[in-house]
Amino acid sequence: MADEDAFDAIVVGGGFAGLAAAYRLAQADKSVLVVERGQVCGAKNLTGGRIYAYALQALLGDRWREAPVQREVKREIISLLTEQDAVNVDSTLTSVEEESYTVLAAPLLAWLAEQAEEAGAMIVTETTVDGLIIRDGRVCGVTTGDEQLEASVVIDCEGINPLLLERAGLIRPLDPHDVAVGAKFVFGMPAAEVEQRFGVQPGEGAALLGMGDPTHGVFGGVFAYTNNESVSLGLVVDSAAWAKSGRSLLATAQDLQEHPALRRYVGDAELLEYGAHLVYEGGYDTLPQMSGDGWLICGDAAGLCLNRGFTIRGMDYAVMSGIAAADTVVEAVEAGDTGPTGLAGYRRRLDEGLLQDFRTLRGGHAWMSGTPDLFTVYPKLAVDLMTDLYHVGAEPVRPVGSTVWRTARKVRKPFSTARSLLKGMKTL
Amino acid sequence: MTRKSVDELLATTRFETDEHNAHIVIDPQACRTCPSDRACVTSCPAQRYVWDEAADQMRFDHVGCLECGNCRLVCERLRLGAEGYSWNYPATGAGVSYRQG
Ligand SMILES: Cc1cc2nc3c(=O)[nH]c(=O)nc-3n(C[C@H](O)[C@H](O)[C@H](O)COP(=O)(O)OP(=O)(O)OC[C@H]3O[C@@H](n4cnc5c(N)ncnc54)[C@H](O)[C@@H]3O)c2cc1C
Ligand code: SF4
Ligand code: SF4
Repeated sequence: MADEDAFDAIVVGGGFAGLAAAYRLAQADKSVLVVERGQVCGAKNLTGGRIYAYALQALLGDRWREAPVQREVKREIISLLTEQDAVNVDSTLTSVEEESYTVLAAPLLAWLAEQAEEAGAMIVTETTVDGLIIRDGRVCGVTTGDEQLEASVVIDCEGINPLLLERAGLIRPLDPHDVAVGAKFVFGMPAAEVEQRFGVQPGEGAALLGMGDPTHGVFGGVFAYTNNESVSLGLVVDSAAWAKSGRSLLATAQDLQEHPALRRYVGDAELLEYGAHLVYEGGYDTLPQMSGDGWLICGDAAGLCLNRGFTIRGMDYAVMSGIAAADTVVEAVEAGDTGPTGLAGYRRRLDEGLLQDFRTLRGGHAWMSGTPDLFTVYPKLAVDLMTDLYHVGAEPVRPVGSTVWRTARKVRKPFSTARSLLKGMKTL
Repeated sequence: MTRKSVDELLATTRFETDEHNAHIVIDPQACRTCPSDRACVTSCPAQRYVWDEAADQMRFDHVGCLECGNCRLVCERLRLGAEGYSWNYPATGAGVSYRQG
């Protein structure tokens, strides 16, 4: 068993999952060390993004209000895009209170790291964990360079590229079919400009999700989020399908700024940062074993991210899994059993909590990636219909009914299309 | 709007580069017989992989890598850790250092 100066827990990775776990453990007076490879927590992280406030509330209570989140999302735009045009479903949900906020990962994680340290967690940065110490099948700590660090439990929160877990054979290697790649630009502009371009009130924000021509038939989408004084614009596409497409990812991402329906949000603004990161999207059926002898996995490393096309959720699940892992470790350490049985409560906690969503949405990813019409035919139909409805010219007017009918007939197989869409509604 | 070159784009992102130690290693000559249709070239969001037609070999520059991991997946040799190919994170805090994220 662990010796005197071993930690109760070592957390690999100071991202959303790792810092949530560390904060919670420190609050329960457990000794916890976070090892993070970035210069500071947040330096290696990238998100879309918006975070759902319930998760911050669960972790921090009302103190979450001090967190450096950006704008409260009050306007949601789903944009069906063709090469030139767009049809938008624009929802102004001004009555919704504090459901979600736009965020930038770097400042938010730096702040979360401070909270964890204040609560008593130890954080070491600029240090990459090279391996897990495994004795007789039990994970006993981590190695970094020549150093060996021991703990009763290792909580692996290393994110979307779980090299340590793969190399230790604790999870199967990441499959390109379960992953999307995201490229993101952050454009700076004064707050008033953000508000004017997105049509929101001071301090309020908008989230735009786009589908259609920009991803050239590949499962994926476009996003734009308003920050306090910047706009995040980017693209998320299925990694395996994109590789097959033979298109340049960077050039395609750059096309976004020139799309007539998107450029009004960022045109002429100064680029502050460009970045890229993977997104997990395998869903329930690809989830790994979540814990074992002396170890637990949280966040992206555990596949706890859901891409529904119109929303990506990973940060809130990372935080919630970090909390569940910490609570399990507290119990296990106090009971003196940090073996597979002592840590099995983690899966139970997840099952009763966030995995309910994963079960409900089981099949959603397969449906979306197997329905390319979603990203090609339907956006085009929507734009064609609107173009016809609004068109006025010299020729005689056609009644609305015949316009709709003419557009609907362009769908090659109306019945199988309807069936496919109904199936999609069930899985999403 | 003038389109930025990849170097101009990456100049907006902060890097603490370790010039000397490449965290991703490929075999430029072995890439001639790529089993993955040279997907690295089109799939790397930082365009770190460039096929050098004249020299008939791959050029890879780890400086400016965003550490996303996409090449690790789309390149079969990196994914399976074939001889002469390996994918790792930079050893210390080196590499990309986002201010926005
Ligand atoms: C383009 C894009 C858009 C997204 N949009 C949204 C959104 O709108 N809403 C949402 O909720 N989610 C979104 N997500 C998903 C979300 O960002 C992730 O699910 C979330 O960040 C996962 O948190 P994590 O703590 O598991 O991993 P991360 O935040 O990635 O943290 C992993 C940490 O581990 C560290 N690390 C890795 N290996 C080692 C090692 N060997 N040694 C030491 N440290 C190591 C890394 O440096 C990093 O800090 C998006 C993702 C992308 C890429
Ligand atoms: S995909 Fe891999 S093997 Fe093929 S050219 Fe690129 S680096 Fe070389
Ligand atoms: S990790 Fe990402 S940015 Fe770096 S070389 Fe590979 S694909 Fe390009």
